[in-house]
Amino acid sequence: MELLIFYPLAGLCVAFALGVVINNSPVGSAMSLIAMMLGLAGIFVLQQAHFIAVLQIIIYAGAIMVLFMFVIMLLNLKGSGEDASWRSRDKNLLMTVLSGFLVAGLLYKILCVLNSGEFDSPASLPENFGTAREVGTILFTEFVLPFEVASILLLVAMIGAVVLAKNKVD
Amino acid sequence: MLESYLGAGIMMLMAIGIAGGMVVMTSMLGPKREFADKMEPFECGESPIVSPHQRFSVKFYLVAVLFVLFDIEAVFFFPWAILFKQLGMFGFIEMLLFILILGVGLLYVWKRGGLDWE
Amino acid sequence: MDIEMEMVPLAHYLFLSATLFVIGVVGVLVRRNAIVVFMSIEIMLNAVNISLIAFDRYLSLHDGQIFSFMVMCVAAAEVSVGLAIIIALFRNKPTINLDEFNIMKS
Repeated sequence: MELLIFYPLAGLCVAFALGVVINNSPVGSAMSLIAMMLGLAGIFVLQQAHFIAVLQIIIYAGAIMVLFMFVIMLLNLKGSGEDASWRSRDKNLLMTVLSGFLVAGLLYKILCVLNSGEFDSPASLPENFGTAREVGTILFTEFVLPFEVASILLLVAMIGAVVLAKNKVD
Repeated sequence: MLESYLGAGIMMLMAIGIAGGMVVMTSMLGPKREFADKMEPFECGESPIVSPHQRFSVKFYLVAVLFVLFDIEAVFFFPWAILFKQLGMFGFIEMLLFILILGVGLLYVWKRGGLDWE
Repeated sequence: MDIEMEMVPLAHYLFLSATLFVIGVVGVLVRRNAIVVFMSIEIMLNAVNISLIAFDRYLSLHDGQIFSFMVMCVAAAEVSVGLAIIIALFRNKPTINLDEFNIMKS
């Protein structure tokens, strides 16, 4: 049952992620990215992370992608959005080798994790695992410092964005 | 727990079905009388044909950024609101500090004129 | 109800995460459109979130979910500042082709 939901969702996510990279127009990329975010929200639900799945939709699909669309509209490039001629960089040996190393390293690490046998059988989950209450309890007691630092991060982002965007407006 | 999503799934299917059905049915069942004035895209007081390559003003971007950042602030409130009684005074002060820090940002944006449209 | 038998193995989630991460890296390396590069970075951040949450589920912990929450906050902050930088760059030179921004190169 879970496998039956997982494979279509995973396939969809990978397909749309490829769509982001391959697509010619930035708007198309943004649309694929939104679809990928929604697919990922489904995968989070499958992993019993209900609260994070909702956040994924609210923050990513709802807020961040709106920002992307705004900037695409803002910079409305006159037709030359992205010519095929500069769609991709020239083939670069170093880049290929580095990407190869990355893939090999990732696969090696995954195999290491699997062979350690620590994650063979999932722990039995409590009934309300991953709900807003459970996540919140830990966030507001154990992780108080990250919570407060997050507000400073948002403050810095706010000031930075205003300084950069407001600078000699029009 | 996954079973509880069944209702949401059914509702989503129904929403897609009704919305899609309306679009398909009106185009199939409705009478079609086409003439030049009717086929023109309607825009009140505007010429219907303009270049699509107009740029938005950067003012929109500032509003969008503030929306995103305060959206995340709001998201922190959901678990806090559920746990408000359980956390007691500690949670209240914690959240007060959080809001104060973000309030400084809001004050800065305000003073800087980020909220003025003109 | 024997869900245990039908569980998706951890490896599947990790492979999905790795695949998405590599797609993101390729996007960053290959594309020259600054906005698409930013989107690829978002894909990479999301890929990390998948593994965090998969491990969480397997260890019955909530720490990874807090982490992915923080990752989302960082992503939002990064996007709002990064896109502001793109707009500022665009004011200086009306293009978002990353290869044309080379004034820092001596």
